[in-house]
Amino acid sequence: MEIEELKSKFLNKDFDQREFPVRAEAMVDFAQAVGETAPHYTDPSHPEFRAVPTFSARFHGRRMLPEDFPRLGGIPLDAGKAVMPQAPIRAGVTLVGRSHLHEVYEKTGRSGRMIFLVARMEVRDPANTLVSIVDSRMVIREKPPSEDASNGASGVGT
Amino acid sequence: MGAHRPSGASARVNLDLHSHSIKSDDGRAQVDNYCLWIRKRELPIDGFVLTEHRQFDFESDYSALAREHGLTILKASEVETEYGHVLVFGVTPALVAEFNFADIRLPLAKVVEASERHGAVAVPCHPGRPRVGMCAHIGERGVPAGVRIIETFNGGSRGSEDADAQAMAARLGYLGIGGSDAHIVSHIGRCATRFARDVRSEGELAEALRAGEFEAVSWKSKS
Repeated sequence: MEIEELKSKFLNKDFDQREFPVRAEAMVDFAQAVGETAPHYTDPSHPEFRAVPTFSARFHGRRMLPEDFPRLGGIPLDAGKAVMPQAPIRAGVTLVGRSHLHEVYEKTGRSGRMIFLVARMEVRDPANTLVSIVDSRMVIREKPPSEDASNGASGVGT
Repeated sequence: MGAHRPSGASARVNLDLHSHSIKSDDGRAQVDNYCLWIRKRELPIDGFVLTEHRQFDFESDYSALAREHGLTILKASEVETEYGHVLVFGVTPALVAEFNFADIRLPLAKVVEASERHGAVAVPCHPGRPRVGMCAHIGERGVPAGVRIIETFNGGSRGSEDADAQAMAARLGYLGIGGSDAHIVSHIGRCATRFARDVRSEGELAEALRAGEFEAVSWKSKS
């Protein structure tokens, strides 16, 4: 299936929804794990207690891609995650994450052709306020006919 | 466009002609951090060109940043063709309307022809790189028409990739430019292009490239 066909069929359509109860203990654990020391992230009694901005990186949907998304072949790899905080996440609420395919694009590099799929989860609080946007990026690397190990990807840049 | 070096600056100007910011999907560098790094490390370049992948960034205005740091910051594009990746200098809205910059299967002939018609200059980059460099495709597809300049120093080249590019340039009579291909801050300025006269805008850059008054330079071994 061509990229344009994938885009028209799958982009911007919700394919997953999941609830995430937010506990103060989990917020503190996360803050400490990332080395945060500010009391408004580590002390639940602090009047401005909230989750660190990257807290929603721990939220995962039930699916990475839409159920009927075609198998594209090649070698799938995790290509990273980006969190865009929108509003404070408070303890004791249940957040709802809805996922859609946000972007599909292709590129070429020294390791060959690659297709990138960006699944975006929008996380909202009970008042329906958008608190976080989480982009999970997957790359599917086309396996060349004669794989040359000496030309493997370097990690940065094409 | 942003060019804010003091007037009377040296007539010989070093510009890193190949770099990427966070506007590129694989870029990890913020433009202000490139500026800080160049000044902090006293790199011998007078500015750089942001060649974002498969797009032209009409949105960003780096003129204040250029003024603050006394650097030239220009914008260009890196597109993808059947001969590999190609830098396009002097991009205009009219040129962007000529072909889909996001298409990874652009015909090089079309990119070269449309660029020339709109006053821009197309330069195949990292020609020695496997799969995405011109050297890998000449055997099968022949020597492409219209190419006059290639990138002979690329900061991301490995092994003999730059030497292969330089050998091809010598064999086919191409001029050479240099660029770091930086995606992270510490890679800016590894290679550059030295111009005989000042270059302060995208239009002047395309003009200087057409005039052939430049040479590729590299500081890779010193970094």
